[in-house]
Amino acid sequence: MPAIIWILVALTGAAGWSMLALHNGETVNAAWLVLAAVCSYLVAYRFYSRFIATRVVALDDTITTPAHRLANGRDFVPTSRWVLFGHHFAAIAGAGPLVGPVLAAQFGYLPGTIWIVVGVILGGAVQDFVILAGSVRRNGKSLGQMAKDEIGPFTGMLAMIAILAIMVILIAVLTLIVVKALAESPWGVFTILCTIPIALAMGFWMKVIRPGKTMEATIAGVALLLLALVAGRWVAASPTLGPMFTLSAVTISWGLMIYGFVASVPPVWMLLAPRDYLSTFVKSATIVTLGAGILITLPNLQLPAITHFIDGTGPVFAGKLFPFCFITIACGAISGFHSLVSSGTTPKMLDKESDARVIGYGAMLMESFVAVMAICAASILDPGVYFAMNAPLALLGGSAETAAAAVQHWGFTLAPGQMEAVAHAMGETTLLARTGGAPTLAVGMAQIFAGVFGKGLTALWYHFAIMFEALFILTSIDAGTRVGRFMVQELGGHIWKPLGHTSSWFSTIVSSALIVAAWGWFLIQGVTDPLGGINSLWPLFGISNQLLAAVALSVGTTLIIRADRARYAWVTLLPLSWLLAVTSTAAWQKMFSDDPRLGFLSHVTQTAAKVAAGTLDPAKGGRMILNDRIDAALCAMFLLITWAVVVSSARVWVGVGLGTRDTGRGKEAAVPA
Amino acid sequence: MISLIPSEARDLLARAATTFRRIAGMPNYDAYLEHLRAHHPECAAPSEKEYYELYLAGKYAGGGSRCC
Repeated sequence: MPAIIWILVALTGAAGWSMLALHNGETVNAAWLVLAAVCSYLVAYRFYSRFIATRVVALDDTITTPAHRLANGRDFVPTSRWVLFGHHFAAIAGAGPLVGPVLAAQFGYLPGTIWIVVGVILGGAVQDFVILAGSVRRNGKSLGQMAKDEIGPFTGMLAMIAILAIMVILIAVLTLIVVKALAESPWGVFTILCTIPIALAMGFWMKVIRPGKTMEATIAGVALLLLALVAGRWVAASPTLGPMFTLSAVTISWGLMIYGFVASVPPVWMLLAPRDYLSTFVKSATIVTLGAGILITLPNLQLPAITHFIDGTGPVFAGKLFPFCFITIACGAISGFHSLVSSGTTPKMLDKESDARVIGYGAMLMESFVAVMAICAASILDPGVYFAMNAPLALLGGSAETAAAAVQHWGFTLAPGQMEAVAHAMGETTLLARTGGAPTLAVGMAQIFAGVFGKGLTALWYHFAIMFEALFILTSIDAGTRVGRFMVQELGGHIWKPLGHTSSWFSTIVSSALIVAAWGWFLIQGVTDPLGGINSLWPLFGISNQLLAAVALSVGTTLIIRADRARYAWVTLLPLSWLLAVTSTAAWQKMFSDDPRLGFLSHVTQTAAKVAAGTLDPAKGGRMILNDRIDAALCAMFLLITWAVVVSSARVWVGVGLGTRDTGRGKEAAVPA
Repeated sequence: MISLIPSEARDLLARAATTFRRIAGMPNYDAYLEHLRAHHPECAAPSEKEYYELYLAGKYAGGGSRCC
């Protein structure tokens, strides 16, 4: 394209950004947000990703990819560029990019949007791309293997422990989000329960009745799912069935733990494979519909560009804009988890090396756009409603009057009857203190869809959005517990042999129980936390995810330096330094801040004082103190692992620079065309 | 019933289904048979049921990777 077009794209993007930044005090249309983001992506893709493709990772189509060299018709399959783009995007996009931005909206829509767009261009997309390119040159090796081979066995081991710890926190926090969305909601509980028999029936169909016919089973499954969604309203309204499906948060938590344990043991064809197809189908359809809905309705953003909560006093989660905006939004800007996909199935399917640019860098831009849509959905809500939904019950009080007073105190307004009206429109009894992001996103999506299809179906859209989020979170519980089990078996096998026998029932049951107990511990802690759980668990998840990104970027830097291109190492060193600053500050504050809402250890002191003064039950206080200490220890562990990986990588970088270590250049290009 | 749909529309629908199948990472028996014919003509082709089991074992080895 001629230069003039790129100048126009850049100017349009700049106009979008200035509309967002300079129109403080008036409502701004979502179109400006979309425009600013999309133009920035286009310019970054055209120029920055091309620079990385040609200079930094030096993609070369004369080198045969593993998909061709090791073709086996199953996992190593050469796949056309756009199909693989869709496949890769479906694997990286989950609940993360939708929830984080909703929570970070407590700072206003602008800080989150800037981080999502700038973070993805200079960090997230770079990480995904560099790791994908590195893995393709190494027969599709995983991140852990690359860490082991390129840096050393000690680092490989650390990376594996980090992945396991992150998995546990990830499952706990995702499950907490589902619990918060389904508690006291018979409609939601009924729909989600129905997904289990539907998936089992699909699994049975695909395995026994018509083996391998996954498409027809999936279409039937989606139809049944929609039927369950419609029937949910009727169940919730029924005087006999309604109360049966109205469950407390603690009951749902135990139910999900039992589900996680039971679902992770049987063969994958029964539950996991059909769930994967169902959630991919629903996910793709919903994201496309949401994008179309925003473009058709072009709603105004009601939330201010920046709120006074950047000083750290916000009710949704504690902590100042720096570092907590960058911790709260992990997926969508940069997500360490993607490095597992970029070094998992995708490199084994790449047809040509040059395809890695659109798949590694491009698909991450797309995920970032999903996060921008989530910010839009949260920002079209009335600020009063947003804070009444996302603040914990301890701050809002139990009634509409106390909630209105609390919201007023924060500087926003909530009209009498406003929350009841919103809850009623969504087919719920109350939406006060529905922390966790999912319900807020669902209300925003329901409003957008109602703008397209009319108001009559608002409640149905709300529950569709809840079902869509819960569906793939449940898939993550099932799959994550399974992955965690294999890791426990592998790591545990070093300590005690019988645990390492992956096919034995004993080892399977013990290691599954260990994983479920680990995430269940954090889940119950979050559910019973008076501050809502998200306040303590979401930052832990953010820190751990960014830690994995730091590990991935260290590996990426090592790959670049070993390929004798150290002059371009700043491409990964830049986001790495930023992440180190962010995660180290955040982890330090979570441990040692004097504010008991923020620092785990000062919360211990506060709780102990309450117990001593007799205002808190000693047993409950003791549990809270133990939880805080475990959370603080976890923060310390994350911090130590990150720095250990970075330091051991830096030793390799220096060694290559001094010529005391081989560059590995010959190794990389060992496979001729 | 099926023959009432014009063949162009049927082709288009089949193509769309195949594309979605590949994006969702669903098994593709026909493509596997083609791969066998092209690369390992000496091997006997598995039945669709055997292929499905092979596919699942490969896809979920180690639990399968995915994201938040």
